[in-house]
Amino acid sequence: MSQDDKLILALPKGRILAEMMPILQRAGIEPEAAFDDPKSRALRFTTSDPRLDLIRVRSFDVATFVAFGAAHFGVAGNDVVMEFDYPELYAPLDLEAGKCRLVVAAPEAVVAVDNPSEWSHVRVATKYPNLTQRHFAQRGVQAECIKLNGAIELAPMLGLCRRIVDLVSTGATLKSNGLVEIETITEVSSRLVVNRAALKTRATALGAWIERFQAAVEGGRDAA
Amino acid sequence: MSSDTENRALLPSGLHDLLPPRAAQEAATIRALTDAFTAIGYEQVKPPLVEFETTLTGAADNGGGSLAGQMFRLMDPASQRMMAVRADITLQVARIAETRLRDTPRPLRLSYAGEVLRVRGSQLRPERLFAQAGVELIGAADVSADVEVVVLAAEALAAAGIGGPTIDLNSPALVAHLLNDIGLDDGVVAQLRVALDHKDSGAVREVTRAHGVAFGSAARVLDELVNAAGTAEDILPKLRALDLPDAAAAEVDRLAAVVAGVRATGAALSLTVDPVEYRGFEYHTGVSFTVFAAGIRGELGRGGRYITAAGEAATGFSLYLDSIMRALPEPAAAQKLYLPFGSPAAEAVPLRADGWTTVAGLAPETDVQAEARRLGCSHCWHDGEILTLSDRGGDAPTEI
Repeated sequence: MSQDDKLILALPKGRILAEMMPILQRAGIEPEAAFDDPKSRALRFTTSDPRLDLIRVRSFDVATFVAFGAAHFGVAGNDVVMEFDYPELYAPLDLEAGKCRLVVAAPEAVVAVDNPSEWSHVRVATKYPNLTQRHFAQRGVQAECIKLNGAIELAPMLGLCRRIVDLVSTGATLKSNGLVEIETITEVSSRLVVNRAALKTRATALGAWIERFQAAVEGGRDAA
Repeated sequence: MSSDTENRALLPSGLHDLLPPRAAQEAATIRALTDAFTAIGYEQVKPPLVEFETTLTGAADNGGGSLAGQMFRLMDPASQRMMAVRADITLQVARIAETRLRDTPRPLRLSYAGEVLRVRGSQLRPERLFAQAGVELIGAADVSADVEVVVLAAEALAAAGIGGPTIDLNSPALVAHLLNDIGLDDGVVAQLRVALDHKDSGAVREVTRAHGVAFGSAARVLDELVNAAGTAEDILPKLRALDLPDAAAAEVDRLAAVVAGVRATGAALSLTVDPVEYRGFEYHTGVSFTVFAAGIRGELGRGGRYITAAGEAATGFSLYLDSIMRALPEPAAAQKLYLPFGSPAAEAVPLRADGWTTVAGLAPETDVQAEARRLGCSHCWHDGEILTLSDRGGDAPTEI
């Protein structure tokens, strides 16, 4: 089997990966042992299928690897897909995992006196500068984004800005930092993403994988 | 530390120097493509790099508008009018067909090759200056014309060294007919287009669910369409089985006819069908296509059917040299023959006729072979014979 015939599936590290494992299993993907070994330094893994390899990267990088064709398909939240808005990325399947919301939040004190219709400019701390700018531009507001890579909730508390755009699942982190949700930008769930050129040039192989994932998602729904 | 302005090697983003052997490879590739076009009767035209802005953007309904934001503009001091640098050659060829060649018998077959300049590159395609080569077939509305250009695209690529491309057939009018039939407002259509462009079936379902009454049975059709992408033989029966309005069903028949026509020619290419592909096809009116090659990111070219500003049915395609060059292997180093200083010029003529590239010494050498190697020659002319030079440097060979 030559390297060129292999398909590469990019998976995100962390929380989503744990939720993805049952879906992978139902889709018939058994990763090699090192994949589950936290001590392993490997980044690329073989599977029980000789035509499929896995890579494990940061969730934002899944979209980039797949958009550039370095991986043929992957798992990424629609928050990441929307942030990059890569034209070469298809998101054909909702995996119904990793569900959360992307919201605008601010300290309670700010919300109490704020009148959003008067805004012409807001400063926002976020991991999603493009998505945030587009969201505010749609309502005629210019968003100045401060790009942070984590601990976004700290920003308003320390006076970096008054508002944040971040992912929320239960809302506990927001609450413990004195923040309240103002609005939901989008509901988020993990999607199977596919490189556009790969879907065209390897239509049969990738089409079969999309169908297997579809069946795996439906199987999970029945089990629940 | 030197500033950016002082470093003479720095070029503006998206612009590159092509060095040996890549520059020669690009020229040879363009020649192979245009020769393939010429071989089946497409005659070459050469529009200028710059023309009046109005003639480049004028035909808004056939693509001029979509590239207006991509053109560099400059003032013509002579006419005091605004000029623009072309961002695409297709429109110029259409202009030639409509004006200077309007009385030439149809169908009119024209080809072109040249460079275009764009204001912005994309992340996947950072080049702002790149060459395009393509054809336009003007005044032919038949399926046979669609088949001819699809097959020509594959043949030209094969001549340039890229065998077995995948040609993805699209029908931008299909979804348009389906949506027209429903009569949605523009906002919903735009939302749906974004979702379809990303094949985001979740988002498509959200839109159809939010406007459930308007969509009716079309919701299920859209659901099927967004998942219908694959080999032509797999997808066409699925499209046939859908409950489509007549205009949309006619588009499916047309796709099927083109697939059958291309298959009948026996051309070496993979055919896929994607009924919802729309980006970049905003002005296309019939069967369109995108060209891909295995393992190459992005597309090698695209084309399709449109109506010229003069109302003529036309089809054609453009191939992008930047993508094609990425798909080609690094060329093998040329075999060069070193002619020592003082070699009679007459001796070299038959060598070049045999296909040798000769490099003449311009000053007397102390070590002819070392000098030949220094200049990257693989062979050396010595007393009327061709010596093959070893890969080793000029030092005496070391024995083990």
